[in-house]
Amino acid sequence: MLKYEEIVNFIQKSCWMLDEEDFDGFLGLCSKDFQYKITAFSPEINKEMIWMDEDFEGLKSLLGMVPEHLRRLGKFTRHVSIGQTSRKDHEVSINSTFIVIHTDLDGKSNIFGVGRYNDKITYTINDVFLLSRNAYLETRDLGIGSHVPI
Amino acid sequence: MNYENIVALERKLSLPETHFVSGNVYTDKTIFETEKSKIFFHTWHFLCHESELLDKYDFRTISFLGQPLIIIRGSDNKIRSFLNVCSHRGAKIIHSPSGNSKKLTCFYHLWSYNDRGECTSIPREKGYDNANLQKRLCGLTEIKTDVFMGMIFISFNKKIMPLNDFIGNSLDPFKDTLCSGELEVFHYSKSTIKSNWKAWQETNLDLYHEWMHVLLRKTQINAGNMKDRKVKIMPNGHAMVGGLKAKYGAYKGINYRQSSKALPGLSSDDFFFVDLFPNFAILARGTAIRIDTVTPIDENTSLVEWRGLGLRGDTSKDRRLRWKHHNQYWGPFGRNVPEDAFAAEACGEGFIKSASRYQIIAREENGTGQDDGMLRAWYKEWSKLTSLNINKP
Repeated sequence: MLKYEEIVNFIQKSCWMLDEEDFDGFLGLCSKDFQYKITAFSPEINKEMIWMDEDFEGLKSLLGMVPEHLRRLGKFTRHVSIGQTSRKDHEVSINSTFIVIHTDLDGKSNIFGVGRYNDKITYTINDVFLLSRNAYLETRDLGIGSHVPI
Repeated sequence: MNYENIVALERKLSLPETHFVSGNVYTDKTIFETEKSKIFFHTWHFLCHESELLDKYDFRTISFLGQPLIIIRGSDNKIRSFLNVCSHRGAKIIHSPSGNSKKLTCFYHLWSYNDRGECTSIPREKGYDNANLQKRLCGLTEIKTDVFMGMIFISFNKKIMPLNDFIGNSLDPFKDTLCSGELEVFHYSKSTIKSNWKAWQETNLDLYHEWMHVLLRKTQINAGNMKDRKVKIMPNGHAMVGGLKAKYGAYKGINYRQSSKALPGLSSDDFFFVDLFPNFAILARGTAIRIDTVTPIDENTSLVEWRGLGLRGDTSKDRRLRWKHHNQYWGPFGRNVPEDAFAAEACGEGFIKSASRYQIIAREENGTGQDDGMLRAWYKEWSKLTSLNINKP
């Protein structure tokens, strides 16, 4: 059985890889059936919305194109606080809260977004993989936005 | 004369006066105040789509240039807008961005108003008898409101031309789609960007900036039909752009768009758009429509709002696909809109302290391809309303 400490380490690793923009490393943590979503609720139109919705191959393609895009300069840092976990067979559901901080090229940091991760991971004796991640954003004014998952 | 002035002067002297814009237009506080009074408090402005007020008593609250507004569908189905402030002590009445209520009650002293803006209840009203306060004179301040192809517009100018005349034929390319009665807003996002409001609107007027977007380079510029694109300048500073077909498969990771998912009146590879003066753009991409508006907060800060329109009757599977089509381009994590916002902010940095003295809007391609004609037509209207010269404001 996967220990709580191993779960925490795995989630932190997934965030550090995104922080470092090690997209191949991040995809290496994901199952081939991986599903990634960014969602938010709009009180203006009273609707849930999906702002990013990709499977493994879709995410791989989009991440592969990131270096060709004009985008926000600087670095994102994801601060994750793991809350509840629940287990079923060889799957673990993990609810976390996150704060994503953006630091610009002058070293000035600002909060980019706040929200919750709903992750599902699967494991065998040797491996752990991310099955799905839903990043639910409370922050809806994201300034100029971002090209990379949060 | 410093270096910048010399460069600027050379530019000024080598171009027709209609083909460059002074940097002061973006930064000068006096010009900004003139824009507010002569443009924003003078013309028509899009506020929201009627699908946001589908049922009787549905309301939306919006801040427009710092003015708190409430838009409500009345029991007679008519859509009205009011200043969202209590006649008693001036408190903002409704704080929720949307909702449904037959009665609008101020939290402070519980004065209430109906869907026509009439004051209907004043607690312990007799206390005002000596001062002869008349409830019938205590209604909310109504703002001129009209609906065009399902889009709700307001104007603070009571003498403004009718909305039909203001828009004219400019939105004809969207007629079959917008008048289908089948659309609803399925996406809403907003961003506060650090730039003058015109820098955002220019991203909708400047066709040449497509080079900035790798997505558009692959799916539009390299698609080989740039010359098919036609720019049509319309009355009142509006413009329409059409004739371009997008090749979505040309960018890895962007999905092909099935013809069965196209919106009424559109083909799945259609790409065309209309800009309405001063701050509105509507863009069609076959399976989704984007509406964006920019309103200034101050001369260096602007609020941009984006709405995505799709079919009201979408299955959950189709809605998920439409979100994807819309947001891969236009969402906060899309491949297109964040780059436009980056450009608007970068121009904002250039305008500050007049580091950028002039902008060049001099491309001429006979109204095709990446002609700057839309920018020039927009600034012609801007000059007409503000009585300011774009290069010597």
